[in-house]
Amino acid sequence: MSGSVLRILADPGSISCESLTYTYPGAAEPALSGVALEVMAGEYVGVVGPNGGGKSTLLRLLNGLLSADSGKIRVAGRDPDTEPFEVRRRVGMLFQNPENGLVAPFVEDDVAFGLENLGVLREEMRARVREAIRAVGLAGYEQREPHTLSGGEKQRVALAGLLALEPEILLLDEPTSMLDAAGRREVLDRTRRLRGEKTILHVTHHLGELLDADRVLVMNGGRIVADVAPGRLISDADLLAENRLVLPPLARLAAGLGLGSSKLRTPEDLARAIGEKIRRRAGTR
Amino acid sequence: MNRSLGQFYPVVSPLHALDPRAKILATAALVFGLFLVDSAAGLALVTGTVVALVVASRVPPVTFLQLLRPVAFIVALTVLFQVLFSREGEMLFAWGILEIHDGGVRLGLFLGLRILLLVSAAALLTATTAPLALADGLEDLLSPLKKLRFPAHEVAMMMTIALRFIPTLSEETQKITKAQAARGADFAEGGPLARVRATVPILIPLTVGAFRRADDLAEAMESRGYQGGEGRTRYRELRFRPRDAIALTVTALILAGAALL
Amino acid sequence: MRLELRDIRHVYSPGTPFELEALRGVSLAAEPGEVLGIVGGTGSGKSTLIQHMNLLLEPASGNVLVDGVDAATLKKSELRRKVGLVFQFPEAALFAPTVAEDVAFAPRRLSLDEDEIEDRVRDSLSLVRAEHLRERSPFALSGGEQRRVAIAGVLAMGPEVLVLDEPASGLDPAAREDLLRLIRTLKQTGASVVLVSHDTDEVAEVADRICVLERGEVRAIGTPSKVLYENLEFAPATVQTVAALGESDQSIGRPVRFEETLRTLRSLVEG
Repeated sequence: MSGSVLRILADPGSISCESLTYTYPGAAEPALSGVALEVMAGEYVGVVGPNGGGKSTLLRLLNGLLSADSGKIRVAGRDPDTEPFEVRRRVGMLFQNPENGLVAPFVEDDVAFGLENLGVLREEMRARVREAIRAVGLAGYEQREPHTLSGGEKQRVALAGLLALEPEILLLDEPTSMLDAAGRREVLDRTRRLRGEKTILHVTHHLGELLDADRVLVMNGGRIVADVAPGRLISDADLLAENRLVLPPLARLAAGLGLGSSKLRTPEDLARAIGEKIRRRAGTR
Repeated sequence: MNRSLGQFYPVVSPLHALDPRAKILATAALVFGLFLVDSAAGLALVTGTVVALVVASRVPPVTFLQLLRPVAFIVALTVLFQVLFSREGEMLFAWGILEIHDGGVRLGLFLGLRILLLVSAAALLTATTAPLALADGLEDLLSPLKKLRFPAHEVAMMMTIALRFIPTLSEETQKITKAQAARGADFAEGGPLARVRATVPILIPLTVGAFRRADDLAEAMESRGYQGGEGRTRYRELRFRPRDAIALTVTALILAGAALL
Repeated sequence: MRLELRDIRHVYSPGTPFELEALRGVSLAAEPGEVLGIVGGTGSGKSTLIQHMNLLLEPASGNVLVDGVDAATLKKSELRRKVGLVFQFPEAALFAPTVAEDVAFAPRRLSLDEDEIEDRVRDSLSLVRAEHLRERSPFALSGGEQRRVAIAGVLAMGPEVLVLDEPASGLDPAAREDLLRLIRTLKQTGASVVLVSHDTDEVAEVADRICVLERGEVRAIGTPSKVLYENLEFAPATVQTVAALGESDQSIGRPVRFEETLRTLRSLVEG
């Protein structure tokens, strides 16, 4: 993770930035200080860290909602500061609050919103809207009103709205934090299917959501303090403690038994691993 | 809330099937035309037309009458005022200083009926046109005004967003009210001033919440490429069909007839 | 104070096409000084149920009893003082210019004198560790801080039963830990806590008894080890792990809390 050499990646699926700094108006401390990162097309990168650490700020700088005080950014080959709308054509951002991202009174109209903004012709819009709704598992929901949907359904509608634009890059800003367990599963199920197809930057507090990620960035105090594989992250107790990261209970249990591994996903996995450990111990006596 | 927003009554009817723009124009013409009618015959023609339209709309008469309820008081007042205080025409009845003249009765009924017809026209429009269709129709009709710098697109966008969030805000109001009630707030006690003051713990969080929502929504809209009305296409289609032209022509003829009568 | 719900039935929009029986005869009780956890998914009737606890909703049939007395016979204000209800995302109801004034809202309605109100405000802010925020505007706080202030606002009434609806919803893990700690602290004051949550991890950590609600009915109620091990699909992943192991080794027992589970499994693994 070198910050000193900026490679201007014209690749539509890549993200890179160098020396990125941003301070919110009126704030005493910068929200981001000298952040540098490179994400290659198709990578699934997690972003974790304590609140106020700069995660959401980073995402908003990447799609031009905020304008950096200094530093260079290239997203999908463009500079979000000078060409925000070109960037937004290629970057879809999913927000934390499922309610406030939906703009139209019916599901299919909302999914069409981004396409309308781009001036896509009606025939093509219909096909793309239909396809996007199907891709998130909501076929049949076209005429539903947003306030009648569950949190998970709302987030999936929002996701469909993004997918209809066929972005190369997805920025996910804690998309499951306001959902219940069922909603979380629904949304993660759909985002997981996009692995490899799209470049994904996923900010979350739930480390369990990132076990499949290619790597995880830890942000604290406006800086990237670690860039590691998920397996490394969950087994590094110091790293976790320093950044106030909390493992999901299953992972914590596994770690406490010396079985820490990102491969242990389900209770059955863990039970099996424990059983093996017991047998091995019995075998060595 | 399963019932559609506002006064829209979702059934299948010839009126429901008309293009919203035709209906908006017809309603506007009706409202305008009513002020040109000055004879009993003309008014009877318009009344007959409105009644026929209500039947055609397949909205149950009882439901329709409920839509007129808000103006019942004003209509009654108007009629009463004319009947009691107008001195036009022959005197029919006297009681002390009170005099009732036939001119007053006629004028009262005329004015009262006209108010009812105006409100009926509006009610017909909203009962047979889905809110989103209304917004689309209005946007379309107002778009020529863009040349005069009228923010037709922005107005339509505001209507759409309002339609989207009214049920949400309604639920939010209920939640906040319950939360404050759980803290001991009583919205039914005290005189009018106390009751108004009691709404503060509801209005403030609701307003603050609404502003937060607006910020979030603006971010989401911008992220999805929203740049105002320039270059935008529309997903929903409004197609003017022959029957819309016919409806408009018939309306115009009836109003012309009524005005001339 | 014992809060009992006896055979509660609730029907939304009765007699219309939208009629929905949300609660079909629910009976449960929160004993003094205990934490009762209520778990259930969407559609289980959780939100409807808690609104009966302070009679914000009235049952179609059945009774709510407060120390044996029918709650319907009590003054609403008295009932709502005794049974404090904190809704999901309670910070949406913050409205006063300062935290202290917001927390004082409920005590003011209790006709206490200024000194007592001040005591209540100070004590409840102290319980939620938010005394340092008292002069701040509620709207300038972080999500976690707002949550704590909203809870303090209900605690200031001095309720004997505190009902919490998804109190950790939307909080980051650190704030969630703080919240669980608060629940344990509250127990020590002698109040009962009814914790309603879809998250069995958190319920398992603090509950003395657990009730599983499914489609408007009580599916199970009892001690955590009994209820969770007998209804594994509602149990936290750690319990499911032990259950998966326990099929082959009966001596493992039924640990529920995390530390307990870790200890049990460690001794098993290390012999």
